[in-house]
Formats: sequence, structure tokens, C-alpha cells
Amino acid sequence: MISAIYNFALTTGANRVIRGARIEHVCGDPTLSAEKDYAFGMRIVTTALQTLTIAVPGPTLFDPMAPGKTEEAAHAS
Amino acid sequence: MSSPLRVVHYLNQFFGGVGGEDQAHVGVSVRAGAVGPGRVLEKTLGDARVEATLVCGDNFASESEAEAARAIGAELDRLKPDVLVAGPAFGSGRYGLACALACKVAQGRGIPAITAMHPENPGASSARRGVYIVPSGSSTTSMQAALDALAPLARRLGRRETLGPSEVEGYMPLGTRRVHDRGRPGYQRALDMLLDKLHGRPYRSEVPYAAPERVSPAPPIADLARARIAMVTTGGLVRKGNPDRQVSANAVRYHRHTVAELESLSPAEWEAYHAGYFNHLVNSNPNYILPLSFLRDLERQGKVGRVHEHIYALPGVSTPVAVSAGHGRSIAEDLKAAGVDGALLVAT
Repeated sequence: MISAIYNFALTTGANRVIRGARIEHVCGDPTLSAEKDYAFGMRIVTTALQTLTIAVPGPTLFDPMAPGKTEEAAHAS
Repeated sequence: MSSPLRVVHYLNQFFGGVGGEDQAHVGVSVRAGAVGPGRVLEKTLGDARVEATLVCGDNFASESEAEAARAIGAELDRLKPDVLVAGPAFGSGRYGLACALACKVAQGRGIPAITAMHPENPGASSARRGVYIVPSGSSTTSMQAALDALAPLARRLGRRETLGPSEVEGYMPLGTRRVHDRGRPGYQRALDMLLDKLHGRPYRSEVPYAAPERVSPAPPIADLARARIAMVTTGGLVRKGNPDRQVSANAVRYHRHTVAELESLSPAEWEAYHAGYFNHLVNSNPNYILPLSFLRDLERQGKVGRVHEHIYALPGVSTPVAVSAGHGRSIAEDLKAAGVDGALLVAT
């Protein structure tokens, strides 16, 4: 699940949670240039796809904004 | 002196002495007096008589529910008991559902009814609203304990008494609210609760906490390049002008759209209709809440096997958890049936 309010997703039991940009623009950022907006959205989406290939023990956060940390999952609770 | 309570007891084919699984197909029959567990029930109730026992095969009750309900109803019309007792069904799923059915049939005729079963029995979870169910153990070894808990409530229901709240009386919550005066205003009760908490004393919240359901994580996908990936959004994505008349909150259904021919979601064709956030930015680029444009690029690059041709959308706001869970289950079943390997759910 890609969500900007990722804490909700984690505490309500979603298992693979990807931090989105903001509630109003989850997969991208309209304040960036079109090119950067797309690259940012792509980073979120590819992170999300990668989580589908990773086994998780339970609700786990993946943060595409944390550089080089996409594989280092932070476990909820 | 009041006359003894007149009870009709509902049992399945096994407890009714008809037979085991091989007799689960038998329809509704009536025995005079108490049978099997009914004898223990009668003794536990005290001043009561089990006038008759209705026996029905578990398969018949679940497969021919309407017919079973009619037959049970006809017998209840004839017998006119003070109360119907069903089971206990313990952990047996079909029996639990049948007991709940019998209770509903009785209640529909103004006859109070009560049953007992294990809290995880499907009969308890599907019928809890509106049926008095006393929690029991999962096996027959807890028969006496179950009847001890059930009997006083059955007696009072049979005497047309109104039961107090579930937490006091011990039945499972009916899911209904009753107006009730707690005697002291809320701020005083809240302060007392806070003081109890600060002093480490026991206290009880007046708002029951419903722990979220835990779902076991799906196993990982071995190869994304061969996987079929679907997209779901709770961002209220609609076709431009909302021709499908999606609501903006409290979704009673979800919408499925085809994107087989689309490379991207164009703001000329798609927009958001959702009461819970500012939709303007999504209306300039709907891919923010349903990332079709990104997935198409990844599909072209061979990083993703196939983008599933259907997308699923609803406004995820002000929707009761039980309703949301139903939508989720239904979407998941649909995706599974279509051979989808993984899904991205974008939640606003």
C-alpha cells in the first residue's frame, strides 16, 4: 500500500507499506518540474514493486525518500 | 405461582441422535420433550420444561436455508414456546450458522431466542447482530459451563425481561446501542479514568477498542518481469464527469474500470471525486493516485510482466471498517480469479 499517512496503514495492519509523497499527490509532486515530478513518482512506484518481491513478517514500512534505504525495512511496533 | 417455562430446543442431527455426518442431509423433524443435551438444559434451567426438540441436519440447514427456516417456523407457530434455545454449537461452523438461523426465525415470530457457541464459530461472527449468543468453549467438554451461562439468560428472556448490556450479562455484543444514563457527566468520568490511569489503578474505557484484523503477508513474487500487476486506489478516481455516479464518501460499492487500451490516465478523461482531500492536484494528473503511466513504462522496459487490464477505485473515506473489509475481500477475490500476482494500492 502506497500512502502518505503511512502510520495509519501500519497500525491498521497493511503489511507492505510504502511512504507516498502527500495525501493530495501520493505518487509524485506537482511543485517539482515535470521531469523531477516523474522521477520522484517513479521512485515511489518502483520501491512499491520491489516490496512485492520481499518477504515481510508483518506491517513493514519502506521509505523511498530515504536514499539507499529502500531495502532496510523499519518494522512497525 | 408462575407455570414452568415452556422451551423449544433446536439441535443438529448429531446431538439430536439421528446420526453423524452421513445424516447431515436430513430435514427438520420434531421430538416430544428433551433429547440429549436438552435433558441437561432442562435440569440447568430449573423450573422449565423442554416441550419439544427440533432436529435438523447441518447440511440441510445450510444448503436449504429457506426450507429449513420455513419448517422451523411452522413448528414454532404450532408449539408457541416462551423461549427457543439452540445448541450449544461449540466450534462447529455449520451447526453454529443453523443455531443462529433458528434464533432468527423465532425472533421473527416474537419468540425470544438464545444460543451458545465458540466466539470464533462462523455462526457467531455472521449472525452476532440481533441474536443472543453466549460464548462457549470449542468442544462438548464445555457443555455444562455453556448451559450454566445460557440458562439464566434464557429464563429471563422467556419471562420477557429485557437484558442489560452484553458486558454485564455475558452474551456477545449485538452491535446495537441503547440510550443509557450513566449518572455522572462525561468529563467527570473521563477525569476519574485519567486519575486511575496516572495512579496505575485499573480502569475501563467506555469506548470498546476494536483491534485491527491481522492479515498474513502474501508471499513474495519471485520474478516481477513475469508478474501480472494490478492497481487499486482509494483516492476516488472516476471517469471525467463521474458518469458511473460514484459517491464521494462512505462507499457502498467499488468501481472497476478497464485500462487495457490506455498508456496513462489523462486529466481530460479522469478525475477524483473524494470528500476527504483536496482533489484539484489529482485532477491535473490522475496518475498521482493510480500510477498507470509509471507501470506502462516499466512494462515496456520489461521490468514488470503485465499491467492488469482492470483497475479498481472507490473513495476511501467515512466508510465503516466492516464495509471496507468487504470491499477489500471482494476486490482481492476478483484479482485472484484473474491471475493477478501482485497489486499496488494507492491510499490518499
